[in-house]
Amino acid sequence: MTAAALAGLPLLGQVEIRNRTGEGGCVQDNGAFCFGWAADNLDRYVTPTLEHLVLVLVSVALGFTIAFCMAVLSHRRRWLVPTFTGLTGVLYTVPSIAFFFLLLPITGRGTTTAIIALTAYTLQIIYRNIVAGLANVPPGPRDAGRGMGMTNNQLLWGVELPLALPEIIAGLRVATVSTVAIATLAVFAGAGGLGDPIYADLTFKTNIVIAGGIAILMAISFDALLLLAQRLLAPWRRAEPGPRRRHRLATLRGAPRPTWT
Amino acid sequence: MAAGDSIRGNQNPSPPSGERQKALSVSYRDVTKIYPGQTEPAIRDLSLELPAGEICVLVGPSGSGKTTAMRMVNRTVEITEGDILIGDTSVRERDPAALRREMGYVIQQIGLFPHRTVGDNIATVPRLLGWDRARVERRVVELLDLIGLEAEMRDRYPGQLSGGQQQRVGVARALAADPPVMLMDEPFGAIDPISRERLQNEFLRLQAEIRKTVLFVTHDIDEAIKMGDRIAIIKQGGRLAQYATPAELLMSPADDFVEDFVGADRALKRLSLMRVRDIDLWQAPLAYVGQPTSEVRAKLEGAEVPHALVVDSERRPIGWLSEADLAQETVPARPDSGPEPILDLDDVMRDALSDLLQTETQYAPVTDAQGRIAGVLSVEIISEFLTSPEAKVEERAAAERPLAG
Repeated sequence: MTAAALAGLPLLGQVEIRNRTGEGGCVQDNGAFCFGWAADNLDRYVTPTLEHLVLVLVSVALGFTIAFCMAVLSHRRRWLVPTFTGLTGVLYTVPSIAFFFLLLPITGRGTTTAIIALTAYTLQIIYRNIVAGLANVPPGPRDAGRGMGMTNNQLLWGVELPLALPEIIAGLRVATVSTVAIATLAVFAGAGGLGDPIYADLTFKTNIVIAGGIAILMAISFDALLLLAQRLLAPWRRAEPGPRRRHRLATLRGAPRPTWT
Repeated sequence: MAAGDSIRGNQNPSPPSGERQKALSVSYRDVTKIYPGQTEPAIRDLSLELPAGEICVLVGPSGSGKTTAMRMVNRTVEITEGDILIGDTSVRERDPAALRREMGYVIQQIGLFPHRTVGDNIATVPRLLGWDRARVERRVVELLDLIGLEAEMRDRYPGQLSGGQQQRVGVARALAADPPVMLMDEPFGAIDPISRERLQNEFLRLQAEIRKTVLFVTHDIDEAIKMGDRIAIIKQGGRLAQYATPAELLMSPADDFVEDFVGADRALKRLSLMRVRDIDLWQAPLAYVGQPTSEVRAKLEGAEVPHALVVDSERRPIGWLSEADLAQETVPARPDSGPEPILDLDDVMRDALSDLLQTETQYAPVTDAQGRIAGVLSVEIISEFLTSPEAKVEERAAAERPLAG
């Protein structure tokens, strides 16, 4: 089965997607970007883009759900934190292509394999950020909440998680952007995605620019959407005249780093 | 000794608006706390009775266990031995969350929820108690008014308020469900001195109206004296050193530790607890404008105050008669020395003494609310008061004291 699966893998650079006939010199010469070819062949990228989107969304959603459960579980059981951090850390260190091949005998070729691996990669970043976010909740609100008679659950959902939200979303942003990048390797698990056209012809510049461009655009869009979500979900943050905010402004304007007295 | 209460001023609170829960007494019964892994108790055999409606201050150096003592009341710290009763009910028999919802809780870091608006912060406990929306609304509006914040502040986030405003919201939030008991852990500790003074005064005014049983923790003895109806001084090792009214504490410290903790200026601190009306004033011979000076001279014989005070027909002080004035036939309308400083019966004694010292006068007329003469205050009277037998200070003849003059 493994052999069969491997046989089906595309080999780098061997599949030509260039239609060298009937095209002008641009494609022949492999120019920086051939607009004519791009206009004619854009539909090639629709399916890979949609596949890529599904891979990213499903993996991040699954990763978030799992990491969130782990974080909530370890929140009042601090001894679990090193265990979970270690576990997700080990998963994070497995090289992605190796991960796909390790999974092939168990889950076979296809989207499932890719999603399992991609999900595993998101766990570390998301988990650590949720844990850090919860740990950074200032003691005042926590103490006040407890002292006013909030139960542990009310405190977690009503105070701690909302206050950890900016850090949780920061983790999601990093995880999402890196998943968009790693998902280009999902093609080696037979799951398609933007890796499909990229590895179909690594030498054709126009192809790389389009496929890579879509991936970059996707990453930037997710990042912006999550940032927007944070702004909407944490309106109180804008109300805070915190030093971090002032500092950022100062740096943006090229002003010297403020000194604290 | 009533002096301790007098500064509180308003003894007749305005009638309560709406239903109000009765304040409950709090009593510590031989309470001991030993933290896990420790051999020495943080609090040792503490017994205290806090009468309903009074402010009791727990004060002591850091590490004395005063916060631990407070936190056992709402069980954010569990009692190792002994018991605490709220009214007649043991806190040990109560569900901790339910118990806490019945107590106001204010902490030094204020602990407002930064992600919730002022209104939502204040509504925390009422919502936990499941009040209906309309009732919560009414209560929030009522409390904003009580703490003197404008109604539109309710939609602000805590990050948009000043430190003083945040602290007020913290107090309002603690009062939201009208709890019979309030716990306040260094509530003004993180506020700048000027705002702190104002917030303290505001809280005392508020307390005169709402009459909660307040357990107040501080490390600042001046704050304790100012805020407390009673003060419990706790020393290292969680032992109660003394539990008394501020006046008692200042007059008769139980031991060297208390004396030291209260400070070398405890005599002056006592003065800040009193008003001029709390002391027995002397009477000066009065002279009316146009009266023959011979009559005045006769009154001066053996008088408490060896100078005659000129007053108008309404008995308002005009000035002091000098020897030259007395040599004239009748009392002049403009005596040589003016009456300044004129003190008021409601002046704080410490300020009155300061006025006397500043103007370098020996005697100052004291007037009532209508400006009529009520008596005469001198540095001598104050020093005699401070060294009187009831003050349990070594008896010394007032004349020997170099202060007067």
